Amino acid sequence: MRIVILGSSLYSETACAMAVRIAALGQAPAGALALSTLNRATLLRKLGQLGAREVARYAREKLLPQSGNSRSSASNPYLEPLLQHETGTYRSLREVAAAYGFPVAVCDDQNSLDSIARLKEWAPDLIIFTGGNILRPQLLTVPRLGVLNVHLGLLPEIRGMSSPEWSLLQGVPVGITIHYMDAGIDTGPILRRYEFPDVSRCKSLAGLRNRLIAFGIEKTGDVVAALIRGTIFATPQTDLEKDNQFFVMHEWLRARAAARLTENRPAPAVPVHG
Amino acid sequence: MTFRSANSDNDVKTAQLAKVLGEATGLLRGPQRIGPLLLKLVSDKLRVAFEPRHLYAYSKTTQPSEQTLNALLRWILRAQRTDGGIAAYYSLLTGYSESYPEVTGYIVPTLFDFASMTNAGAAVAAAERAIQWLLSLQMSSGAFPGGLHGRINTTQAQPSIFNTGQILQGLVRAYAETSRPEILQSALAAGDWLVAMQQPDGSWSGPAAYQSAPHTYYSMVAWALAELSAHVVENKYGLAAEKNLDWALSHFTPTGWIEGINLRGHPNYLHFIAYILQGVLECAILRRRSDAIEKVAKSAWVWLRKFETNKHLSGAYESNFKHGAHFTCLTGNAQMSCVWLRLFEMTGDLRYLNAALKMNEMLKQSVAIRGPQGISGGLPGSFPVWGRYQPLRYISWGCKFFADALLLERRLTRSFEASEVRALPCAS
Repeated sequence: MRIVILGSSLYSETACAMAVRIAALGQAPAGALALSTLNRATLLRKLGQLGAREVARYAREKLLPQSGNSRSSASNPYLEPLLQHETGTYRSLREVAAAYGFPVAVCDDQNSLDSIARLKEWAPDLIIFTGGNILRPQLLTVPRLGVLNVHLGLLPEIRGMSSPEWSLLQGVPVGITIHYMDAGIDTGPILRRYEFPDVSRCKSLAGLRNRLIAFGIEKTGDVVAALIRGTIFATPQTDLEKDNQFFVMHEWLRARAAARLTENRPAPAVPVHG
Repeated sequence: MTFRSANSDNDVKTAQLAKVLGEATGLLRGPQRIGPLLLKLVSDKLRVAFEPRHLYAYSKTTQPSEQTLNALLRWILRAQRTDGGIAAYYSLLTGYSESYPEVTGYIVPTLFDFASMTNAGAAVAAAERAIQWLLSLQMSSGAFPGGLHGRINTTQAQPSIFNTGQILQGLVRAYAETSRPEILQSALAAGDWLVAMQQPDGSWSGPAAYQSAPHTYYSMVAWALAELSAHVVENKYGLAAEKNLDWALSHFTPTGWIEGINLRGHPNYLHFIAYILQGVLECAILRRRSDAIEKVAKSAWVWLRKFETNKHLSGAYESNFKHGAHFTCLTGNAQMSCVWLRLFEMTGDLRYLNAALKMNEMLKQSVAIRGPQGISGGLPGSFPVWGRYQPLRYISWGCKFFADALLLERRLTRSFEASEVRALPCAS
């Protein structure tokens, strides 16, 4: 099966880890298309998501050459098992591509005519979206099977943004959904839903999100393997008439979601004296 | 706030021209206002240039809601004129306006709400002075006059349906707080006049209506009548409120847009759109009309999606949400926040609370905590301040609605924390 990875930047850990996971199935990607590192929209989005200090730290880590013996670790520690190789850690899609032998292209807009022409050259059966632009119908119809997305919430209950946080506040099990993308927001046919079993081990919302990303990549590998075997089929979503879309969560509510996370954690064992 | 009555396009243009000339010469009369004016123009220009609009953007908390709430109330108290009325606005060109009966009336519930939450005696005293002044303005018919006090000769004062309804809000609340019989008498007289003026279809039109036309934002009048009905035995006020409610609901379209604002010579400012939603929603809650709450929720959800997607709501729209204007009507935003907060209270849907919290954060950035009198604690009509809705003015009804939104936010976040939020029986 010819698989292409879409990434939000060359340095996206999620895109790198996904490429490694797919390659581990014996299916080296047919190509990877990433937004350019200095893409204005991405930069602004990251600034909004992470704050200026965290973006500066991330940029320093990714863009400056590694010194001597230092082995930079992943920002998301749960991706390290996938990103580590014999001599260090994959820091960019180019490094993963060099290891597994697939082409990488950079663009300013994944929906542009040039990007779509490049994708068509790679003739993908499947595209795996790990980040970037809101995809337009012209791109969604390029691959034979469709564009696959890992949504960090259970569909159709929780669509849109801040999904793990909304799941906690709405009392919906935390989980991920692997689905084909369509023109709507998280409304495409579902391949698999997985409840996340380790919520109680998460100490913070950031930790939960990181674990969910790693969990999603792991399960995407399973789904792709099942697609190759032909043992999995997508099911159209029900309840589309219900507006289950959620938006970025305000910090006051995020604090309440974080509190729910703490409440979910089992009480620490009482030490036995004697 | 509604506009002064003007019954033809020529009248509207003449009134607008007179307003522009009066404002333009304001700086000659008060040159000390030049500095604050320039400062505000520059700061809004910078904010417009650097405002983030990406998918994750929303204003983060920079100042506590309590601090803003106190500043807003200070602004309102300073805007109270010697006669007891509240000025309509503080203009960066001309300073404070005369007292405005309509706003003075519906600011009274805000003052009492603030007092009950903070035990602020000054707010109660201001409310009582305001009511005393309003009682002196009531016409023998029971109606209250339109326009700014002092600009209109008392003998020429025209009764105004909308202003009477808005003032009735304050009278009913003042009666509930003080049990003074003369306030009840005044409220009943106003209510009787409003019932008598109502058209058979439930709307209000005729000479006492703005531009003599029926308007869906007169649902605010229906809300006032529903409030009155909750305090008296006689049912005619409640029935009149519901009659208007049904008339207003017939203007809700399947897309969530509401027809019938009917303002000739003015765009559909968000302020008036939000008025419709507020009036219908509050009237529906009081009359336990879940069908009306559902219709408001449907429309409010469209506005919420617009806000969440675009990170702001435009100051004015053409019919069916088309062509949003390139400025923000801040008071309309504050009203929309009130609508979302009340819908959260009714339905328990946290997405309404989420949007309102973000809207309130954004509005807080338009309220200066320090600065000269008239500016400090005030909410401008538009962002940027030169936007089309009440340009270069800090408006008292903007402060009122934003204070309402913050008071609601405070009450509902506290009860959320105490897990006490419950839907009313009529909520679906």
